Amino acid sequence: MIKFEHIGLRYGIGPEILSDVNFSLDPGSFHFLSGPSGAGKTSLMSLLYLGRRPTRGLITMFGQNTGGLTREQLAAQRQRIGVVFQDFRLLNHMSAFDNVALPLRIAGKNEKEIQGNVNELLDWVGLGEAKRSLPNTLSGGEQQRIAIARAVITRPRLLLADEPTGNLDDEIGMRLMNLFEQLNKMGTTIVIATHNQAMMDSFGHPRLVLDKGRLSVEEGSTELRKKLQGVF
Amino acid sequence: MSKKVKKEKSLGTAQKKRRYDLPLNESSGSGFLRLLIALMSILTILALTTGFVLSDMTGRWAAGVQNHMTVEIPAEDKNGNVLPGENVRALSQKAQEIAAAHEDIESAEILPEEKIKEMVAPWLGEDISTSGNAVPLPGLISIKLKAGAEINTEAFQKQLKTVSPMIRLDTHESWLSTVLRFTGALKFAAYFITLTILITTIVAVAGAIRSKMAIHKDELELLHLMGALDSYIARQFQRHSMILAFQGAAIGCFIGGIILLLSSSMAGHMEISIVPEFQMNPPQIGLLCLLPFFISLLAVGTARHTVLRVLREMP
Repeated sequence: MIKFEHIGLRYGIGPEILSDVNFSLDPGSFHFLSGPSGAGKTSLMSLLYLGRRPTRGLITMFGQNTGGLTREQLAAQRQRIGVVFQDFRLLNHMSAFDNVALPLRIAGKNEKEIQGNVNELLDWVGLGEAKRSLPNTLSGGEQQRIAIARAVITRPRLLLADEPTGNLDDEIGMRLMNLFEQLNKMGTTIVIATHNQAMMDSFGHPRLVLDKGRLSVEEGSTELRKKLQGVF
Repeated sequence: MSKKVKKEKSLGTAQKKRRYDLPLNESSGSGFLRLLIALMSILTILALTTGFVLSDMTGRWAAGVQNHMTVEIPAEDKNGNVLPGENVRALSQKAQEIAAAHEDIESAEILPEEKIKEMVAPWLGEDISTSGNAVPLPGLISIKLKAGAEINTEAFQKQLKTVSPMIRLDTHESWLSTVLRFTGALKFAAYFITLTILITTIVAVAGAIRSKMAIHKDELELLHLMGALDSYIARQFQRHSMILAFQGAAIGCFIGGIILLLSSSMAGHMEISIVPEFQMNPPQIGLLCLLPFFISLLAVGTARHTVLRVLREMP
């Protein structure tokens, strides 16, 4: 489904941030992306959400080589990807409702469908009452839930989250991870970039480990996964 | 949720009506662009109207002297002696008879002395005495040719010279061609100024759009990453530019209209007889009324082109 082959990335004439990165993500898989600061996690994420083109190598996304796609086809591919940014990147001039509705409006959905889906999702993330509020009047945790709702409203085939539990206390962080697990069970491929070792250990998903621009894949704990399957 | 939190949230409650995905109407520069377009519209309307006035004047002058000639009977003989008024009148009468009998001439009319005085008044003053040692006035005959007639001016002048060798035939061609060349140059300048103003407007709108795109770079990138097509993003800027341009152009055209009315009223008070009274025809009025729409359209086109060009630099 998603395949990176011999990917290299450099900014301008600087050194390679990512060197010869190779991996593939099966549909419905769940991966953590980890590595020390400056290892290239954000750069790899930007390649995954098609925010950047690699300087070399081949990216195959949903069965298509992204290098050969037109701008319109790339836009269509991006609509299949949900992203939760570390800094949320909410639009502060818009209400919580409109922020969550934005991907649907971009996708050209009708307003009736948008109203129903967004209200339902906002209720689900516990922000039904705050739907008319501007993001900058909400707490960090509430903003994060809006960012997550916005990322999943289109039922993306790939969900990327950059340090999604970074601003949350343990309890809310765990609830969020449960939400990701549920989405994953519905078939969404998930990649979460994190430094949180405890969280990675708790969930036992395979890890993409970046170090100095090179990537290695570590298998997760199958036993733990089996145990967790009973929980979720 | 506590009452306090609810109150705080209500203070930040967003407008029910969704306006733009990008906060274009909140960023600085909108007022500047509106003002700039208003000023450009004033200049456009003035330059365009000047072009219309010159066109109209040229047309009227050309139509006024076309198929017309003037015969002048100088108030002096070939030795430079001043002729008495009665002699000038008698010579004028003879010349008029010859002209009226010509097959290509529709009418030949001796201009009354009062009319001639009126014509020379700007140079010699209102109170001209023609008796005694006063200024001698020539005789003038206004000739109108038959439609489509091509008179042999040389032969006709020869006929007239049998009355007096001093008689002159003026076909107006020499001064008219000079005036037409001059007004043509002015007209070209007026239309060229109009074009320059419109190009300046395009450049200003493009600059404003680029600056807004730089201000909202993060939001733009977000829409792009969510899968927004370039045309979707461009439409936001098109709508914004259209509203600003229309507001600016409407204000500018309104002010321009007032300036035109004032200048028209001032010109009317001056009673300049050499400049024909100007009245715009319906197509010209229509064109000026359509100016705000045209400028809005120009702004929309510019915004679209600029946004698509900048977005093309994104992956």
